[in-house]
Amino acid sequence: MTARLLPRNIFSGVWLRRYKPFLNKTDVLNYEALGYGFLYEDAMLPIELYAGIKSAWCPGCGNFVLLQAFKQALRELDLRPQDLVVVSGIGQSSKFPHYLSCNTFNGIHGRTLPVGTGVRLANPDLKVVCVAGDGDCYGEGGNHLLAAMRRNVDLTLVVHNNQVYALTKGQASPTTDQGQKTTLQPQGVPYTPLAALALAVSQGCSWVGRGSATDPEHLKGLYQQAITHRGLAFLEVLQPCVTFNRVNTYQWYRERVYRVEETPGYDPENELWAYQKAKEWGERIPIGVIYRHLRPLLEEAHPALQAGPLVRQQPQRDLPQLLADFF
Amino acid sequence: MPVDLNILIGGAAGQGVHSITLPLAKALMRQGCWVLTVQSYESRIRGGHLFNQVRLADRRLSSSREGVDLLIALNQETVDLHTPEILSQGLIIYDASEVKEVPGGVPSLALTPENLLPGAADKAEIALNAGACGAVLGFLKVPLAPLLTLLQETFGDKGGEVVEWNVQAATRGYELAAAQDYGFSLAGIKPPPEPRLLISGHEAMALGALAGGLQFISGYPMTPWTSLLNAVAQRAPRHNVVVEQAEDEIAAINLAIGASYAGARSLTGTSGGGFCLMTEGLGLACMTETPLVIVMSMRPGPSTGLPTRTGQGDLSFVLFAGQGDAPRAVLAPGTPAQGFALTAKALNWADRYQLPVIILTDQYFGDTQFTHLPGEFPEVQVDRALATGPAAAPYERYAYTPDGVSPRRLPGFGPELVVADSDEHTPDGHLTEDLAVRARMHRKRLRKLQGLVQEMGGITTAGDPDAPLALICWGSSLGPVKEAVALLGAGGTPARLVHLSELWPFPVEAVAAALKGSKKLVMAEMNATGQLNRLLRQETGIKTDHLVLKDDGAPFTPEYILRGLAAAI
Repeated sequence: MTARLLPRNIFSGVWLRRYKPFLNKTDVLNYEALGYGFLYEDAMLPIELYAGIKSAWCPGCGNFVLLQAFKQALRELDLRPQDLVVVSGIGQSSKFPHYLSCNTFNGIHGRTLPVGTGVRLANPDLKVVCVAGDGDCYGEGGNHLLAAMRRNVDLTLVVHNNQVYALTKGQASPTTDQGQKTTLQPQGVPYTPLAALALAVSQGCSWVGRGSATDPEHLKGLYQQAITHRGLAFLEVLQPCVTFNRVNTYQWYRERVYRVEETPGYDPENELWAYQKAKEWGERIPIGVIYRHLRPLLEEAHPALQAGPLVRQQPQRDLPQLLADFF
Repeated sequence: MPVDLNILIGGAAGQGVHSITLPLAKALMRQGCWVLTVQSYESRIRGGHLFNQVRLADRRLSSSREGVDLLIALNQETVDLHTPEILSQGLIIYDASEVKEVPGGVPSLALTPENLLPGAADKAEIALNAGACGAVLGFLKVPLAPLLTLLQETFGDKGGEVVEWNVQAATRGYELAAAQDYGFSLAGIKPPPEPRLLISGHEAMALGALAGGLQFISGYPMTPWTSLLNAVAQRAPRHNVVVEQAEDEIAAINLAIGASYAGARSLTGTSGGGFCLMTEGLGLACMTETPLVIVMSMRPGPSTGLPTRTGQGDLSFVLFAGQGDAPRAVLAPGTPAQGFALTAKALNWADRYQLPVIILTDQYFGDTQFTHLPGEFPEVQVDRALATGPAAAPYERYAYTPDGVSPRRLPGFGPELVVADSDEHTPDGHLTEDLAVRARMHRKRLRKLQGLVQEMGGITTAGDPDAPLALICWGSSLGPVKEAVALLGAGGTPARLVHLSELWPFPVEAVAAALKGSKKLVMAEMNATGQLNRLLRQETGIKTDHLVLKDDGAPFTPEYILRGLAAAI
């Protein structure tokens, strides 16, 4: 079979793949007449499929590593852009979906999780990935993080943790180390950093992991596991900020991170082991899957979704029946 | 002789004032009365003082009124507080185990455990209010059977014994009252040819939302909005509605925005300070052009204010909430039937114009039950206004269009990618700092209001169309002002009512036309500064002559409006 790929800049990033099962012949012809390209072969999706608009990140930003690893992960999962919604908030990390090609909802600061939860409850056929920063998710949106762990919606939360506020130029974030000097805290940050992974384990979050921009191949695998996990998958990614964080550099992380699954006694189904690993920070920082256990999904708890996604239902309410309670 | 009686049932929270009001009101409605019930309660679960009023008449009622004909006192405080309101022919029915002193000169009937439940006096506490309701029907000389049926419906899930005690107490109360003649009579009122409805504003809005295709509702409990959330939630399992209790109002609105972006018809709501938290989400819906209906059930502020009381102090707030000229629509129904129709309409408008539609209600509107005819709740059409089929060109979620409305598609329904952004964005949804694009996109969003205002009207008029005096009001003030206008007319002062239920974008032409010919304009509002009054002047240049305002947390009464008018003129 032949592959017919058309340049993205002409067709607004829309590619269709193996479309025959989903469209009737007339639709296929219509799409082709409009110039959309179809891939009929079973080869992996091309990485260009996920290309977005031009980035405004600093050269050398850790986010580039995350973006590339994420695209590779999508490609290997055979996940088409149209089947994916990436939700983000505000921060450098939240520009992530613009630099991809996918359904996107770039909302407001801290509110990534409720928007993503709403999307999933309306249409569980969509894969939802919420992308947030450490300030976005742990600071502004902290209450939503607690609620998301309780809800256990089947979505992936990726927190880009650069331990600093970058978009606002260098203030402390909830994960900045105690004592670190910043533009706003010249005497050093007086608080202890949030142990988000330990919090997640303690709350029974369904899947908890950590990746690092210093290990892209490993990160790609974590993205894939998080996206395919059934339940809330919380992946924190260590991401150096080359402009505002001169402490937690690529070198700093490289010297400390280790693949936790390669160590003896690896036991991510064990809550107590997971808690100890989640608390480990400093000289050695574990990366990998730290905790996982299956829990009932919120989607399963809503009777309304038994009849399929809300967006596929055609509600027909019988007015006399509605009024009957009031006679 | 026309029938118009006001029954006031008062007691402490927890004594069953609410649980007995509905059976009594419904029994009277099924008998053929036009009934209107009003709740007044404090922000507490036990104790305190709360009272409900049941007004009944042989004609349609639009409002509660002052003066009490029958006082049902479940405690001494009710007697002490409400005796001054008892009218000359009035009487008191009281729980003699709680009330030790009743005023001389007012006929009264004492209910005791012994005279209501001779065989089970120790159980009388839970059935005493049913005895009082039976007594009301006995005084009015109407059949008891409808009440007994309703008591069975109300208490059926509490077990056979509870039903039995309530039925027995109601029957005994009826017999005790019927044995005497106090001069009340509902003779001439007959059961209606078609059944009528007793429904509150929030209940009617819940039905309007369901009939209008609602699929998703999120909210954080807060009085008085909670009654609407509950009314939907109780019906949700039967109608496949996802109900999500949010961790806060910020989450509530963002959940609804996410669900709406994905394609579910969505509604959220709140009260008072909850709307402060929703304000950034309101702007998000405006900017991402995500359809959303937000119910804002007002309560007197600032801040926590009077949580369980009523008022119309948040019109200016919802008109201007949020930064940056964000387009929205604002509606304010005046009756349950209007609430039903406007909620269904709001869902359609939200989809058609891709913006948030705010519906303003309050405790008086939300809780007050009106008698309606079923025909006043007509079938509604659901208009999702979605683009379907393959896009004719590379899809742009925010394509520039003459009317500002861009073709809306849903994610996952085809190869077209739906990209939404809270940043200023290009037509394909990606963030931009191109200032020319910003100006063009911002005007595109605002242009939608020009189309919407063409659909707006929502003006209710009543009274003498040629009267030089016009009383203007909005939202829940409709009923009391309407009755005030009728009382003015009956007293020889011709007057007319002009009520607005669709407030933004302001229907300038329709309002100007409605006020044309009036020489003297009076604005009646439940707030301290005249918020619609300011809006009217801002949008039309029309200056009213007098304001009748009320901001103490208790609802308008027709009598209050007449007093205010007399003082002003």
